[in-house]
Amino acid sequence: MASITTSSVFFPVSCSLKQNQVSNLKMVSLSFTGNSFPSLRLQPSRFRVACAAKPETVEKVCEIVRKQLALPADSAVTGESKFASLGADSLDTVEIVMGLEEEFGISVEEESAQTITTVQEAADMIENLKAKKA
Amino acid sequence: MSFLPNHEYSSITRFVKLGDQKRALVSRLLQYALVHQVLEIPFDEIIIRRTPEGKPYLVCDDMKLAFPNFNFNASHHGDFVAIASEPICLVGLDIVSHSVPKNETAHEFIQNFSSYFSSSEWYHIMHAGSSDEMLHIFYRYWCLKEAFVKAMGTGVGYKLDDVEFHHTNWNNIFVKVAGKELKDWKFWLLDLGQNHSVCIARGHPRTATTSYRTTLKRIEFDDKEYYNGFHLPNASFTFRTVEDLLQVIHGADRVPFDISTKCDVSEDEGSEGARFVQQ
Repeated sequence: MASITTSSVFFPVSCSLKQNQVSNLKMVSLSFTGNSFPSLRLQPSRFRVACAAKPETVEKVCEIVRKQLALPADSAVTGESKFASLGADSLDTVEIVMGLEEEFGISVEEESAQTITTVQEAADMIENLKAKKA
Repeated sequence: MSFLPNHEYSSITRFVKLGDQKRALVSRLLQYALVHQVLEIPFDEIIIRRTPEGKPYLVCDDMKLAFPNFNFNASHHGDFVAIASEPICLVGLDIVSHSVPKNETAHEFIQNFSSYFSSSEWYHIMHAGSSDEMLHIFYRYWCLKEAFVKAMGTGVGYKLDDVEFHHTNWNNIFVKVAGKELKDWKFWLLDLGQNHSVCIARGHPRTATTSYRTTLKRIEFDDKEYYNGFHLPNASFTFRTVEDLLQVIHGADRVPFDISTKCDVSEDEGSEGARFVQQ
């Protein structure tokens, strides 16, 4: 699941078209003001687009999590699995994120790292970061 | 588990590993037993909920005057489950087990966490001498940070490299956040035997995170009241086995959960509570 937020755009006398590309999604924001009007500030609404991370990514995350938490290969680990429920303590969570960074060649900020609580969230974040790198 | 209210069941069964389920169960039971013993609330009237960040608190309209801000914190790791409570100050508790990493060296393991430590803490860890010593120091600092964060109820999301602990051979422990000493916070670190450390943090209620603050009866205290609360003598940990705990609960005519494996349970009821227990 990818989430995209836009910030408000403000342009004085001009018409501009902005195009961002994130994970195969295109987002366009448009704003303009005229001479005789006070500057208009457009407030684009925040919207979330559901876009599931690739199954291979989720599977890879599951594998890393299983290894870190020493879970047997047949244990039920899915996208919805919460790290804490699988037995991860605060130390494990940090190590899982480090493992993901190594495996996927990404760099996760501490603040983001601490918000990941499920396998799916980790997979989504990985895809998001990889897309930004591209 | 039938002893506990229904809404607690899923919080235990969500754990995949049986050991985690047991620890979660014992932790819940300890919380109810503590509240029952210290505040004398009948078991079936005890309501314990969690903040959005996951910190448990007691829902109580009629708090005893002797314990204006009764709050507690529990922790479990390895073979121990512990709980501590305070009548006025915030309390945070964390247990760590000094486990030796399996798939990597101690140095590699600790390196993973470098961004969570201040430079002076990191220096202390790295210059410890042996791998074992490095691990011990690492786990102790981690334990302190966890207890601090848990006391405030922020859960995750705190910039831990800005939180710097100072101590004299692990005594007189105090903390500096962003370079400024927090004078209304104190910390104690104890070894629990079998390679476990436990840390207790005690601090001012106004430092609690927004969501947890709403669960407290009082945030502001005059200096004298706070001084008294802050300087309450420390109760030492009371060690109990799970059987002891079940007896406390069994006394309330409930069916105890059958736990086949013993796990040591330690309990510190804070100053007021300990006096109660010793009587």
